[in-house]
Amino acid sequence: MFRPATLTALAILALAGASLAGLAGAGGNVAALSSLGPYLARLVAGATVQAGLSMLLSILLGTALALALLRRRFPGRNLLLAVLTAAAVAPTIVIVFGVIAIYGRSGLLGDLARAVGAEPPAIYGLQGILIAHVLMNMPLVTRTLLQAFGREPGERRRLASALGFSAADCFRHLDWPVIRREAPALATFVFLLCFTSFAVVLSLGGGPANATLEVAIYEAVRFEADFARAAALAGLQLVLCLGLATALATLAPAVHDEASAERHAARPDILAPCLLRLDCLVLILATAWIAPPLLSIASGVAAVPTLATAEFAWAAATSAAIALGAGLLACLFAVLLASAARGRRLRPRLPDLAAFTMLGLPPFAFVAGLYVLTRNLADPAALGLMLVPLVNALMALPYAYRLLAPPLATNAERHGRLAESLGIAGWTRLRLVEWPALRAPLAAAFAFATALSLGDFGVIALFGGGELTTLPYLLANRLGAYRMDEAGALALVLVLSAGGLAYLTERWSARHA
Amino acid sequence: MLELAGLSLDYPGFAARYDLVIPPGALCAVIGPSGGGKTTLLHAIAGFERPTAGTLRFAGADLLPLTPARRPVSILFQDHNLFPHLTAAENVALGLKPSLRLDDSERERVAAALAEVDLAGFAARRPAELSGGQRQRVALARALLRGKPLMLLDEPFGALDPGLRREMIERVDALRREHGLTVLMTLHTPEEAASHADLFALVRDGHVEASGPWARLTASDGPEPVRRFLGI
Repeated sequence: MFRPATLTALAILALAGASLAGLAGAGGNVAALSSLGPYLARLVAGATVQAGLSMLLSILLGTALALALLRRRFPGRNLLLAVLTAAAVAPTIVIVFGVIAIYGRSGLLGDLARAVGAEPPAIYGLQGILIAHVLMNMPLVTRTLLQAFGREPGERRRLASALGFSAADCFRHLDWPVIRREAPALATFVFLLCFTSFAVVLSLGGGPANATLEVAIYEAVRFEADFARAAALAGLQLVLCLGLATALATLAPAVHDEASAERHAARPDILAPCLLRLDCLVLILATAWIAPPLLSIASGVAAVPTLATAEFAWAAATSAAIALGAGLLACLFAVLLASAARGRRLRPRLPDLAAFTMLGLPPFAFVAGLYVLTRNLADPAALGLMLVPLVNALMALPYAYRLLAPPLATNAERHGRLAESLGIAGWTRLRLVEWPALRAPLAAAFAFATALSLGDFGVIALFGGGELTTLPYLLANRLGAYRMDEAGALALVLVLSAGGLAYLTERWSARHA
Repeated sequence: MLELAGLSLDYPGFAARYDLVIPPGALCAVIGPSGGGKTTLLHAIAGFERPTAGTLRFAGADLLPLTPARRPVSILFQDHNLFPHLTAAENVALGLKPSLRLDDSERERVAAALAEVDLAGFAARRPAELSGGQRQRVALARALLRGKPLMLLDEPFGALDPGLRREMIERVDALRREHGLTVLMTLHTPEEAASHADLFALVRDGHVEASGPWARLTASDGPEPVRRFLGI
């Protein structure tokens, strides 16, 4: 008999397969791919260089900041950590707004340049993409490394103190092993994010020279209705992304939380004067780099009254409906897949495969395929309203699954046999046995999936317009029209919504941890 | 001689004040309930915690102004005594030079320290390739190599099997006698150290409630707190 996890996994894989088949059936073939020739090579090479540089800068700067934050305690440290979290979870289109508000021709730096008689900086192009990507991914690197450092047993720091480690010894024996363990997977993940970047490249890329495959697929579907080209590009993107996702799965270190009663032991290198100066410099530069684009969003508060329009209300309602739907669907799929742990098999391969496939599947290829399959069934706006939450949910699924599968597996290991011996199964088992372990990560998964969908300017770019307008779509429109005041107000609303969601989840998780 | 007089530490919800004297070359087993302040006592001696009052002297020298690395102290924890990315020999060598740039004579000393704990053939193994007892012996070899006269053991053998635990205590005792070390060791099962420890100290609620030889503490007219703790 098929279990719910197996059925869900099969349904997701079938949907992914049907979507790609739909796209391929619309005309995509190897001949189409080869005819694209130099264009395709340039596209892949450009995206690789862009993603490689973004990854390198994010890893280097993020690691330096993580080490400085690890070693130092100072007033405002928690605020800086909150800013890092905000930058990591802020919708991409909001980051784009922040970058333009600071580094754009009419931004803060542009004004300063004009004030001293210099030429304002050019933001559109590779430099703009790098600034935005590093702004988004450096905080991710910093937070991930800080968490990894925090899991290290404090006894090793005590030992370092007792053995008289210098600053260099501390880096070599305490920090470097952690960095070496975490960096490959982290670098691959950041590369994957930048390689498949859409909103940043579309908004700041400055033209085809810096396009990614994702942007090229979007242009082929949206502007040229060239499904053959889209299918060829999507096939290539799928192969590359699945390759990267495979590398990610191979490189990702197992999260090992070594039992230790000494989490807060001090490090011996915090007294080294040269390191103190270096850390201060890193912290000041990082704050000066991250804070202004995010603070620029606060300037949108003055323009909030301009949002009192029917267009905004409709976009907000649409966004809320799509995001809540995506959040619920992502959690439902993730719980169903994670319920494979009830079988107490060591590695539930099929659910893993389903979640993994969604990590490697380009959203545009997926949604374009679904669009091709269903375009004759309903009008695009109605289709979009159904497909956007579904695709957003499936895109958030790998992350939601990663949050929910480990606690369910642990729960099955601890209480599975007892539940079976007592005849507790199905819904009753979920309610009585699994829910206590599930509610905190479920809240986090819901908030993450909802926030991801709320800020999505990817799939909606394909369907958006007319009646189907979301807040990110509206924000991108305002940015394109250089209506920066309204864009600022919209960015503020998006950030406050995502932040509020994160705050409520944090409180819920803390209460039910 | 190790002397603690009114050595006080203050934390939110917990205050400790220790008075204890341990003769040179003695093995003192520190016993007491969990959360009673045994580890805090060892950490204060090692220099990981900063006392708010009192004195701490070893062989007449004031230890309080010294950093952990400058104190005449080696310490072993229950776990995580070794760096997982280094081999057994490199972990031992950290006791000589954390930079691990050793000359030939230093390499010989590392090998000798490993041989002293019967791990001569294990130099190239990483901690993951060693058993729990072997890992603790590597840490012991490092402590010996450092040549510090005061050794602190914070339940270092708690995770080992009873037989292995007894064997390790015997080994520590033998090394103590051979090298003239003063040893403080926290324990969960005091009976295992009864035939080796010169004295026992019962630590509860951040105080040394009683101390003395095993026979006196467990005698029918011995201190009430010890008898209550041991259930005799």
